[in-house]
This record gives sequence, C-alpha cells and structure tokens, in this order.
Amino acid sequence: MSQINAYRRKFMAALSGIAAGGLASGVILRSVQANDVPAKPVDQPVSNKVRWGMLIDINRLTDGGASMVEACKREHGWGNDPKARPEQQAQWMRTVKVTDKLTKHSFTLPVMCQHCAEPPCVDVCPTGASMKRADGIVQVNKHICIGCRYCMMACPYKARSFVHENLTDQQPHSPRGIGTVESCNLCVHRIDKGQLPACVEAAPNAVIFGDLNDPNSRISQAMKALGGSQIRADLGLNTGVRYLGL
Amino acid sequence: MSSKTIVYSELRASKAYYILLSICFAIAGLGAISFFHLEHEGHYVTGMNNQIVWGLPHVFAIFLIVAASGALNIASIGTVFSKTIYQPLGRLSALLAISLLIGGLAILVLDLGHADRLIIAMTYYNFKSIFAWNIILYNGFLALCILYIWTMQDRKLKAFYPYAGFFAFSWRLILTLGTGSIFGFLVSRAYYNSAVLAPLFIALSFALGLAVFIILLFFTYRLDKRELGDVVLNRLRYLLAIFVAAAMFLELARHLTALYIAQRQGVEQFILLDGGIYTLLFWVGQVLVGGLIPLSLIFCRALKNNHWSLLLASILVIIGGFVQLYVLIVGGQVYPLELFPNAEVQSSFFDGEIHAYAPSIWEWMLGLGGVGLALALFLCGMVALRFLPKSLADSELVAH
Amino acid sequence: MLALFAIALVGCDAGVPKSNLAPAKAKAAQCVEPTAEMRKNHMQYLLVHRDKTVIEGIRTTKHSLNECINCHIAPTREDGSAVHYADEKKDHFCASCHTYVGVKLDCFQCHADRPQVAGTINYQHKLSSNTYHLSAKGTQPNASDLLWLGNSQNQGVTQ
Ligand code: SF4
Ligand code: SF4
Repeated sequence: MSQINAYRRKFMAALSGIAAGGLASGVILRSVQANDVPAKPVDQPVSNKVRWGMLIDINRLTDGGASMVEACKREHGWGNDPKARPEQQAQWMRTVKVTDKLTKHSFTLPVMCQHCAEPPCVDVCPTGASMKRADGIVQVNKHICIGCRYCMMACPYKARSFVHENLTDQQPHSPRGIGTVESCNLCVHRIDKGQLPACVEAAPNAVIFGDLNDPNSRISQAMKALGGSQIRADLGLNTGVRYLGL
Repeated sequence: MSSKTIVYSELRASKAYYILLSICFAIAGLGAISFFHLEHEGHYVTGMNNQIVWGLPHVFAIFLIVAASGALNIASIGTVFSKTIYQPLGRLSALLAISLLIGGLAILVLDLGHADRLIIAMTYYNFKSIFAWNIILYNGFLALCILYIWTMQDRKLKAFYPYAGFFAFSWRLILTLGTGSIFGFLVSRAYYNSAVLAPLFIALSFALGLAVFIILLFFTYRLDKRELGDVVLNRLRYLLAIFVAAAMFLELARHLTALYIAQRQGVEQFILLDGGIYTLLFWVGQVLVGGLIPLSLIFCRALKNNHWSLLLASILVIIGGFVQLYVLIVGGQVYPLELFPNAEVQSSFFDGEIHAYAPSIWEWMLGLGGVGLALALFLCGMVALRFLPKSLADSELVAH
Repeated sequence: MLALFAIALVGCDAGVPKSNLAPAKAKAAQCVEPTAEMRKNHMQYLLVHRDKTVIEGIRTTKHSLNECINCHIAPTREDGSAVHYADEKKDHFCASCHTYVGVKLDCFQCHADRPQVAGTINYQHKLSSNTYHLSAKGTQPNASDLLWLGNSQNQGVTQ
C-alpha cells in the first residue's frame, strides 16, 4: 500500500511536470472514461468500424514478453508438436533480443503477426486463405489454405509457421493442423466474445489493447500521446501491433 | 518457307526406347512414392522448415517451368522471327515445352501442404496474387502449346500457324516474367527484391530451355539413328552462347545494383563472400561451371563442329542453372530476415541466424520424379505423333 | 451398450453399421435440425457456418462443429481411452458413418475431434470487465499505472 502511495506521489509530481509542456497524462486520464468497446453480439458479423490493435510498452515488460509467449502457447496449443524438429516447430510469437551494433544497448520484445493494414501475406496468397477480417485481424482461413507457404515467404516479420505433421487434440477454439499455415490471430475467438487476447492478459501492465479507429479509445489516446513505433516501419505496412520504447 | 519439304515421322519404338521410357517412369514413380509419404506423414520428414519454407522441390519445379518456357523459344524463333532453319524444330520444341511444364507443375503441386485441395487452388482465386496469376498463365501456356502443335501438324490449320506462334511467344514471355515475379515482389526478402529478377528469369529460361533441347535432340536422333548435321547444331551452339552470356550479364547487373541498396548489402556479402557452401555454389557452380566453362567450350576454335563439346556445354549450363536457382531460392532464405537494421537479433525462432538446410531423400525423390515425368511425357509424345523431322542433315537445310 | 453393439456389428461386417448416437442421446432428445435433414445435409450447414465464423466472426453455436463434437462425442471410452476419429474401432460418431460410406474428411486434421477434457486456463479479464486491467474500461486505474505508462520511455531498460 505504501508503495502505491509512493507511486501516487510520484505520479502527481510527474503530472504537474508533464502538464506544463505536454498532454500525455491528461490524455490518458480522459481515455479511461472513453474506452467503450462493447462485446459484439455473437450473431453479428464483425465491422470495419473497428480496427483492433495492441500497444506494447517494451520497457514495462519485465520478462521481455516471455509470459505473453507462454500464454499464447497455452491458449492455442502450439510449440509442442511431437515429431517436428526444433526448426519445424510452430512459433506464433517469440521474444526477440535486440542488441544495437554500435551502442550494445539491448532490449527484448515479443514479435508476432503485426496485423498489417497492408498485409503482404494476404496479397500473395493464391486462394485468399490468408485474409484480413473487417476488423483488421489477419489470419489464415485454413479451410482453403493449400499449404503453398508463399505467405511465409512474403511476411517480413517471420510471423507465420507451417504445420509439418498430423496433430490431434487441438484446442477446440483454435484449430490447427497438418499442411496449413498459421499465425497469431489476435485470439479472434476471444475478441468475438469480448475478451482480451491471451497475451494481453498475461502482461496487463505493459500492453494496451483496443480499437485503433476510435480516437477516444485508450490505445489511440496513448499512441497519440506517446507514439507507437512499428518494426520495419520503412516497409509502410501500417501494423496494428505497435511498440513503445523501440 | 523451306525449299525442300521437311518430312516428319514418329519416333520408332525400339527396345532401347522402351528401356528408356521405363526408366523415366520408374523415376517418376519414386516421385509418387515421395508424394504419398509427404501427404501421409507431413513435411516433417523433409529438410524444409519454418525458416527454409521452399526447398529442393521448388528448385526442381522452377527449373523445369523456366526451362519449359525457354524450350518453346526455338519454335518461336522459327515462327515469329521467320528464321526458317528453326522451323523444322518447332514441333519438337513445343512438345518439350509441354512436357517440362507438366513435370514442373507436378512437383509444385505435390509439394503443397494440401495437394488434395488442388480443386480449391483452381476455384478460389485471389487476383492480387502473382501465384494465382501464374496458375492461369501455366494453364494458358499448355493450351497455347497444344494449339500451336496442332497448327503445325494439321495442314488445314496452316493459316493460323503464325498467329498461334506469336501468341505462344508473347504468352511465354509473360509466363516467365510471372515466374520471376513470384520472387521479385517479395519486399521482405532482401535477396529477391529486385526489378532485374524478371528479365533475369527470361534470359535464364532461354539458356536452360535451349540446353535441355539440345541434349534431348541429340540423343533422340542417336536413339533413332537419324541424321543430325552440323548446320543445325552450330546454330544452336551460338544461340546458347548468347543466352548464357545474357543470363550472366543480368546476374551481374543484379548484384551490382544490390551494392547500392543498403538493405541488400548484408545478404549480398553473404552470398558472394562468406556464405560457405552458398558462396562456393555461386562462384564454382553458377559462374564457372554454368557460365565460363560452357562459353569457352562453345567459342574454342578447336572444338568447332564437335558435338560432344556442345553436349558437355549444354549439360554444364543445366547444372549451372540449377545451382543458380538453388542459390537464389534456398540461399535467399538461408540469410535471416532483417527485423532491425543495425542491430543484432536473437530469439528462439532463429532470428538473426544463418539457417541450415539439408534436403532429405524425399525432396530429391520428388524433384527427380518431376524430371522423370517430364522426360517420360516427352518420349511418349514423340512416338504418338509426328514431331521429329526425318533428317536434319546439312543437305536438307543448306538451301536456306 | 448400444455403442458396443454397433461396434460389434461393424466388426462382423453385418451390413450398414449403426452410427454411434449414444453420447448425443444422453444429452438431448433432438438434434439442432430434424434428423432426416441432418443425415442428408449436415455438411451444408457446416460449410455455411464455417465461412460465417472464420470470415465474418459470427459465432453462434447452433451449427458449429465444436457443438457437434461436444454433444456427439464422449471424450473417452469406458476404459478411459481417448476416442479419436482415426481410431480402428470406428466408434467416433463421425467415423462410424464416414468410414462405411468411404467419404474422406479433413475436418479433424485441424479441429479437435473430441471435447476437451483438461480445461484451458480461464482468463478473468474481459474487454468490458471491471477488474483492473490497462485495457479495461470504466474503472479509474491506479495512478501508479499511469505513471508507469507515461514515463516508460524515459525509464530506460528495465530488464
Ligand atoms: S505480420 Fe506477416 S503474417 Fe502478419 S499481417 Fe503482416 S505480413 Fe501477414
Ligand atoms: S500457405 Fe495457405 S495461407 Fe499461405 S499463401 Fe498458401 S494458401 Fe495462402
């Protein structure tokens, strides 16, 4: 408790400090009231009024995102395919340690499908299996995926994996199987129920999830105040997963 | 047209022919076994993985597809550019194009994670995808080749022959551009992202297609004890030299331009200098064996009119071309994707590491199976219809 | 018992096998559509529903494959062994008919072919939940959280 009080005091000090020159703190305070993302009724299609996104504050991830990766593994059941060699195991999400060549400054961040607004994986897929949902979630429609792996060649983030063997007892909510490509789908099955993606829940203090299209959502407000960098921004893919402290 | 009428006849189905044919089918059978194994077990039995997603089968497939398009070139030169000396070879060249394409496509399809969903690939089209375009291009190419052969075989359709030839020619160029663009448009892969890739594929297709054609022409005529004169072979010899030189030139251009693009310097340095086996393959396999040696074989005065040196040159061009595609396709993936320029990256997903790839026996079987299938089709075709001029002796051709 | 009997029949190769309806019968008297309709057109329902779910995110349960499985398949046999579509015994509801008519399925290459036994971790937070979470709505977050967030960029590396 006393710790929180200490934070509170520091916060007030910081607030007055920032308020003078900027709006970061004020923006965030306002965003708290404005974040209304209703759970979609199950029988309604997703709408393009929403674009889901995620802001990950790297410096707040004490474990570099390892717990997020764990949560993803458990939620979707990847990473332990019995026959695949290590290079053949699926990895929907991994932590990447980045060390600057010059300064040797290093940090670790989780990397998964970045849910590009202009996804190369979707452009190249011959059947349209690789698809972007109306709400911006990029995923593989495994029903029509022929396993050509062209999308894996096209993704700049190495976000996709191919399932190299027969699987059984998958998670009922997350089908995955032989001969198809898979990647982070932002936990569509949870979002459609109004829940947060598993990884976001696993790192509650470091990740904001929400609607990028709504200027009043917490994530939009936070990005407006603090920014939100993309990995390989030079490619101009307008990713839905953004980072603070890159 | 030619002053002497060229007489065509079917290939005689000798004992040697049947032996050859059964060997080809046996190799194709190996491919089938490999396919069933992959289909049943999954791709974990192969050397491919989540880093090297396209491996040896794709090298074989693209080799055959590229060569198919180049094989038709001989017919095109005869039709479109009215070089009469090439016209007698037109039928055979179209047959070879079809066979090679089917062989290549078979590999490509059978390597899919879900080859059983071929019908989906044919019914769901994403028109933004170059891959989908290629499916249309390949089918169209097959149809045009058949049409072309028909106009060449059927006297009643002779009037359409130039048109069919012209269409097939343009279609073929677009097809190779399309094949090259499969790689050329991958913005994320530094090694592929280059506008030179598409023309390079065209030059490569000319060289490979011609080399395959020369070898098969030579041995078919031996097999059937028909006459094959120096005039034809020398024409093909210099044509081959031009194409090989063009392919080498474009490859040079590709690497030179890369030196000005910061994003590509890392991968260029890898391939050209410190990539171990890939550097070796590049310099020895592609440049020396696939380029310099064949060129000197062709231009060496002492070896003029020497069929065996031409054959050797063709074989070396094929090996070199195969290696070139291997370095391009596999080598381009072995070098890691750059997530953070100017930084070193490390992860459990092999980020920032040079990946390893060792093709398994299944990949070899599948790839060779496609080659076997292509040759078998070629052999069958020659027996079924009149593709081969009775004689290509100098006396038959000198009139032009 | 009925199921065992059906298996025995298949084993003896005595004509058309009975599909293993026991698990479903134990749970409901009637399927989501009339039986005759389901026999004939279940694949149509599944096909339409799968596209709706994957592409549009419609997650009604009525025609969802997961619900078919939940109702029709018992996760284990009486002896505790797992029931899978590919089992030799062919007592998986779908297998009991599909093997007989020789229609190959690829549903279960990706989809779980039996209800899940061990529960998944139950995450507590919802988008609209009032429990504390950075993304939660409606609650006033602790000031400390805002401090973290606002200041993180100046804090340097914490790992
Ligand atoms: S990160 Fe890769 S898989 Fe995800 S949308 Fe972008 S290109 Fe596609
Ligand atoms: S592997 Fe599947 S999702 Fe990827 S490009 Fe091919 S068909 Fe599309």
